[in-house]
Amino acid sequence: MLSVERLVKRYPTGDAALRGVDLEVPAGQVMALIGPSGAGKSTLLRCVNRLVEPTAGRVRLEGEDLTALGAAALRRARRRMGMIFQEFALVERLSVMENVLSGRLGYVGFWRSWFRRFPPADVEEAFRLLDRVELAESCDKRADALSGGQRQRVGIARALLQNPRILLVDEPTASLDPKTSRQIMRLICELCRERGLAAIINMHDVALARLFVERVVGLRQGAIVYDGPPDGLTPEVLTTIYGAEDWSEARRRGGADEEEEEEPEVDEQRLAGLT
Amino acid sequence: MGGLRARAAAARPGRTAPLLAGAGLAALLAWSWHGTAVDLPGLFGGEGMRQVATYVAGLFPPDLSARTWRDAAAGAVETFAISLIGSLLAVGLGLPLSLLATRTLLYRGILFEGRRPGPGARTARVALYAAGKALLNLLRTIPEIVWALIFVFMVGLGPFPGVLALGFHTGGVLGKLFGEVLEDVDPAPLEALQATGASRFGILVYGVLPQALPQFVSYALYRWEVNIRAAAMLGFVGAGGLGQRIHIAISLFQEHQLLTLILAIYAIVTLVDALSAYLRARLV
Repeated sequence: MLSVERLVKRYPTGDAALRGVDLEVPAGQVMALIGPSGAGKSTLLRCVNRLVEPTAGRVRLEGEDLTALGAAALRRARRRMGMIFQEFALVERLSVMENVLSGRLGYVGFWRSWFRRFPPADVEEAFRLLDRVELAESCDKRADALSGGQRQRVGIARALLQNPRILLVDEPTASLDPKTSRQIMRLICELCRERGLAAIINMHDVALARLFVERVVGLRQGAIVYDGPPDGLTPEVLTTIYGAEDWSEARRRGGADEEEEEEPEVDEQRLAGLT
Repeated sequence: MGGLRARAAAARPGRTAPLLAGAGLAALLAWSWHGTAVDLPGLFGGEGMRQVATYVAGLFPPDLSARTWRDAAAGAVETFAISLIGSLLAVGLGLPLSLLATRTLLYRGILFEGRRPGPGARTARVALYAAGKALLNLLRTIPEIVWALIFVFMVGLGPFPGVLALGFHTGGVLGKLFGEVLEDVDPAPLEALQATGASRFGILVYGVLPQALPQFVSYALYRWEVNIRAAAMLGFVGAGGLGQRIHIAISLFQEHQLLTLILAIYAIVTLVDALSAYLRARLV
């Protein structure tokens, strides 16, 4: 569904962030993109929706060559790619509802943007999504009144209101505590399953990635050095991706988390009590 | 230990730089003091001080006759109106111009990481920015009083040239300040809106302006406080309000009326400061 072919990005400073990346993401697949800081994970995501202009190579979404699009067509194509950010990237002074509705900005015209008036169908769908991410009561609160986990759920609802085919998720949990991180990862993966969405999730936390995704791609210095199931992340592979280090911790934590995951009811009761 | 001392010794030469800077600053101060012919004895002692004291004593008591009251009240209302309409005009001029004076809306920054404008388009946008910036500089560098002289010449005596004078000068000031606010907004939400497929206009009204608005209001209110004082002075060149009446009172040696008018200025400046503080607390 998404295919990236020989993608190269060189910044004007001369740094090569991506050195010919090939990546195929089938419909409905949730995959993690891991790698050290500076490996080019963020750049790769942003080259897909061309927030960053690739230097060479192609990106195709459902057959359409995104790299060849003009300004207007690119904006239409971006509507099919929802993006979720590490620091949530909400407009802090606007309400939760307004932030979610901004996901429709690519669909509405000049006057509706100006008056922040969206079609009733959009508003209904926004309510449904807020309900789904359990923020229905907070819809009139200002975004800066929410906790980190709540803000990220607003970001998720905003991305979904675009009615995308794929989610581009940039370090969704790097600003969250471990517990909230897992809730957010679970929510993203559940929503992808419900809606048949593909997702590329950039992440730092190898253990967390192992828990939730079916495929892991390892990036190092702008090139893919691993592509396979999470189980294949042996210490040797991790060393290839990140450099030499003792990996027993990351691997053991992954295993421990998996056991805990088998009792979701308990977990959810605790969460209900907390929020 | 020895290593530490050696390092400390090595670090010591770096301390001469602040000393040099301090000496330079002191020299600059001394030179400026001399250059501005500061003469404290002349200020506080001698004939000048006695003359001022006599003049001030002569102002009392203020003239509280109904005629002067009415005149002062009318002048105060006019000055208030000049400052308010002048400040609104300034926002009206400064806001659109500030969009031209914002690089991050025209050609660089997070909105231009992806599709960059071609070289021709980029040059045009840089030129637009330069033109906007130059126009704001022009508006700003000409003081209110000079604008007032120009507009009195153009449209005649009265409050209207005062409004135009405040609008033009303050428009230049606010345009520059607004532009700086616009360049300073958090870029992360703008990137997020861009990723939804929003147009630049959508990003401006939905992502940039909501972030900038509180500071816009704050700056506009502050400039209103400045403008009420400026409006009181503009009358000296014929641009209406209390200033014009004060100018007349001074020229005709009407000392008691003069004091009433000065008290009116004091009252109205205090009023606007309080009003502005109240609005700022409510709006920002």
